[in-house]
Amino acid sequence: MTNSIEIQGLCKSYGDFALRDVSFTLPGGAILGLIGENGAGKTTTIKCILNLIRRDGGSITLLGQDNLRQERTIKEDVGVVLDECFFHDSLRPKDISAILAPVYRDWDDGLFRDYLDKFKLPGNQFIKEFSRGMKMKLSLAAALAHRPRLLILDEATAGLDPVVRDEILDEFLGFIGDEEHSILLSSHIITDLEKVADYITYLHQGQVVLSGSKDAILERYGKVGCTAAQLEQIAPGGLLRVRKGPFGCEGLTADREAFRRVYPGLTVDPASLEDIMLLIGKGEPV
Amino acid sequence: MIGLVWKDILVMRKTLRAYALFLAFYFILGVMGAFDISMVTAMLQVILLMLPISAFSYDELAKWNRYAMTFPLGRRAVVGARYLFCLLTALFANACGLLICVFTSLMGRSQLEENLATVLVSLGVGLFIVDIMLPLCYKLGAERARPYLYVVVFFPIIALFLASKLGFHMDLSFLERMSTTSALAVFALVPLIALVGAWLSWLVSCRIMADKEF
Repeated sequence: MTNSIEIQGLCKSYGDFALRDVSFTLPGGAILGLIGENGAGKTTTIKCILNLIRRDGGSITLLGQDNLRQERTIKEDVGVVLDECFFHDSLRPKDISAILAPVYRDWDDGLFRDYLDKFKLPGNQFIKEFSRGMKMKLSLAAALAHRPRLLILDEATAGLDPVVRDEILDEFLGFIGDEEHSILLSSHIITDLEKVADYITYLHQGQVVLSGSKDAILERYGKVGCTAAQLEQIAPGGLLRVRKGPFGCEGLTADREAFRRVYPGLTVDPASLEDIMLLIGKGEPV
Repeated sequence: MIGLVWKDILVMRKTLRAYALFLAFYFILGVMGAFDISMVTAMLQVILLMLPISAFSYDELAKWNRYAMTFPLGRRAVVGARYLFCLLTALFANACGLLICVFTSLMGRSQLEENLATVLVSLGVGLFIVDIMLPLCYKLGAERARPYLYVVVFFPIIALFLASKLGFHMDLSFLERMSTTSALAVFALVPLIALVGAWLSWLVSCRIMADKEF
């Protein structure tokens, strides 16, 4: 099966910030969660994928085609929901269909209306009267109504209440029910990604620090709790990162079973994605 | 591209409706003889000047271009759609102007040929202003480009005024020696040249958009 996204050595510099050698792959039929703190480069990566900004180096392939050379062809198969709703306040949902039908070859007006019904969006109400949740659902309906094979979502669930988020996440799971479909989902809300993502790529200061299957990451990584004195006894390289606090220390290991075998006296718990982010983002290298 | 033109029409439907009402108002007053036909053509100019900048303002407010760049259209088509919208608006507004001219001429209130010439020149001047304003809007954004509108409108007037004060006079007497049809053909050149200008202007705007990041 063709990979939905293949990024190799992506570089983009803004002077004070740079994406450096970003590489990851989203296999077909899967959801990849792109995580990272604010300013880590998630949106920049997505902008490069969509050719909204020029990259300085590297290559990007979407659905087996180069994202620059075959830009117009592949964008027929890509649905996009970014961090805000871009529809003018003076438009109504039914206007969106009139605008996007000539834009996309496979626009399905019936499907769009089905999504409006499903998300309980009134077709005749002005968008300025919509809540943020309604606007994001409308953006999602517009992204899905041209039957894309790849969905790219940048913080699409940010600022939404848990009920609306859950509804949207269910829609994502329904979308990848078709094995040809896949989703790149950038989000701060780690619990959402733990729920739906198959793969995780963690960006930190413009670089990929972790990328792989979510289950494998959660199975392998561990959080070590210890005192400062115990920390001294751990060999260099035994832990990836350490956070020292007034009541003890926390460390991150990339292989908790191996760590347990070497240090049977120390407590090693499974690390959640949030633990991994916090320890990599705020911890010190050992 | 049609979708994007349609978007501009839908977003600006209230504005377009207001302009249509103004035109109807001027039409009635023109027919009743309360206004000279030049008032109608002046109104058309106002429409042509305000629409492109309003369209850019609405798009900036919604950050539309960032979204439009995710469409399978390409940047040139996005720019082309805005030009097409301005062109269609200009043609529609001037078609209304033409209708008023024909109507008032049939009623014997004005001379048809003279009115036709006024509409043709008015269309040409309106398009010239669009030719200059659109690349400026792409380069600077609607709000920063707005002051240049006044420069574009008033600079030729001031230049002509100064030229006449300095003793330079444009000799248009050759038009009087021509047949009516030939003179109208000369006036028709103005919007045609402006259309060629629109093509050049589109190329400049495409170049500006190609360098932009969203």
